[in-house]
Amino acid sequence: MNKLYPTLGALSVGAALLASGGDTVIASSHREAPAIAEDQYVDNTDVYAFISPQSPDRLVMVANYVPLLIPASGPNYYKFSADARYEVHVDNDGDAKDDITYRWEFKDQIKNGNTFLYNTGVINFLADPDLNVTQTYDLFRIDEKSGKKTRILHDAPVAPWNVGKRSFPNNTYEGIALEAVKSSGGTSSFAGPRDEPFFVDLHVFDLLGVGGAPTTDGVNVMSLVLEVPITDVAKDGKRPAAGSADKSSVVGIHASASRPQVRVLRRTRDSDDYGNMIQVSRLGWPLINEVIIPLRDKDKYNRSQPVDDVKNFGGYILDPEVPKLLNLVLGANCPATAAGGRTDIVGLLSPMGTAAADLLRINISQDQTNAQSHFPNGRALADDVTDTLLTVACNNGAAIRDGVNANDKPFTATFPYLASPASGNP
Amino acid sequence: MNLHRITLLLLLSVAACSAEDRRSHPTPEPALPRLANATQDDLAHELEDADRRGTWMEVRHRWQGQVLRWTVTRQRALCRTAEACNVAAFPVRTGAPAGWLPTLKFAPGQFTALEARCGDREQCELTVEGKLEKLSVSAELPTNLELTGVTLVDGPKLARG
Repeated sequence: MNKLYPTLGALSVGAALLASGGDTVIASSHREAPAIAEDQYVDNTDVYAFISPQSPDRLVMVANYVPLLIPASGPNYYKFSADARYEVHVDNDGDAKDDITYRWEFKDQIKNGNTFLYNTGVINFLADPDLNVTQTYDLFRIDEKSGKKTRILHDAPVAPWNVGKRSFPNNTYEGIALEAVKSSGGTSSFAGPRDEPFFVDLHVFDLLGVGGAPTTDGVNVMSLVLEVPITDVAKDGKRPAAGSADKSSVVGIHASASRPQVRVLRRTRDSDDYGNMIQVSRLGWPLINEVIIPLRDKDKYNRSQPVDDVKNFGGYILDPEVPKLLNLVLGANCPATAAGGRTDIVGLLSPMGTAAADLLRINISQDQTNAQSHFPNGRALADDVTDTLLTVACNNGAAIRDGVNANDKPFTATFPYLASPASGNP
Repeated sequence: MNLHRITLLLLLSVAACSAEDRRSHPTPEPALPRLANATQDDLAHELEDADRRGTWMEVRHRWQGQVLRWTVTRQRALCRTAEACNVAAFPVRTGAPAGWLPTLKFAPGQFTALEARCGDREQCELTVEGKLEKLSVSAELPTNLELTGVTLVDGPKLARG
């Protein structure tokens, strides 16, 4: 079987895929830059945004971190970092600057330090005393213009790891995990492990040699899921009228993670952290840092802000490497980049006249429904962003496919929408 | 070593640094040679070298403040207004040698002139001159630069009405 599949005669270019609203969308960012690959717990892998399938007045935002997690990963199962700051940022006026920020801060708890066990018995409910290692978090909403910081949740529980059938007998895991869904002031929140929703053949990084292997099946990821009233993120708290063409009819979303600037390792006790929080990871569209930004600038990309993307990285978007590689390795017949560069991609990054930036933009005007939330108008969990972006990048009138077209587990119709994580001992 | 000795050493160190500063500042630095013919490719090469050698500050010192004349490509999508204008410094070839797109701040009337010259074209090639007012280079953050007082030197003929 050949690597990628340049399916000549298929629909027509990425534009058709993008316009179809069907199985479209973005890529992903697992271990995409050298520095963040060494700091797994703050590696932002994917961002999704869609109008809620349960209520068209609400927006769902998903930020995933900690890539490619093997379910049987005990005794110290994956979690969020208690030293880090996780954030989802919303630009609601089209200038590519943050207007609203949601921030998560985590705390670790160990009930019994005299055992190596994550849980010391069967877990029957989320607050079960036998669940030995737990995390809680505070969730804040920050209005960046006024500086007002509101705590939405305090000490909310993180869902536990799906350790296995002995710890969660009789398929009780998901019910217990969903006890971690908390709501306050109209905001619903979930934090914890989920099945990795991104589907791709990661053999693509072996000289583009993909053949439809579902390499992300069976692995988990750490998910932050929010569902908020659209008026909470809209400019001036007002949802734009149906059909609005104003910049404020789309919001631009990206996620980030930050760590304290200085860590001092101690010989006799745990380390200390000092200094300002430094952004170490960010993500809006999938695959931007993964395959658009070259190695020399990948770490710098993770430290920079979307508002500066054009002046910092615009050259890479105008003249991307991907179509050249597709031609070189696969003979994909991607046309030579036009003399003026890939302004079509710039256009996709700046809908409604918004400032071009690596933000996942979604239309929030009153006529929008869940059915319209497909990349690049937001990103649904089921969107096949790899195919879409490869097709857009090549731009030869044919669909380029990686051969993996869906997640191994179905997504759910109710919050938090992502599938239950794979069990460590099924 | 007791606290008094540490304090004394610190004070002496600070004093020594201050003295060094005073010694090194009275003499005005020699004027930089004008980089009249330096192109964006020259800057890209120097920045690539700085990547290996860590000479970011030397590059900035050498380039910032210089008046440069460069041929660039204006894409309408990236330069719609005088307040938000970035241009491509490199022609599309076999992959961009750098990610940065210079920010242009125009001299009065010059953005209008640019629009008149480029007409309806989605992209057009122009030769501009301006002062490299800001060159942000470091090991930590991406490179970007801003040319101010930008004037049009050459470009496409006036678009026909």
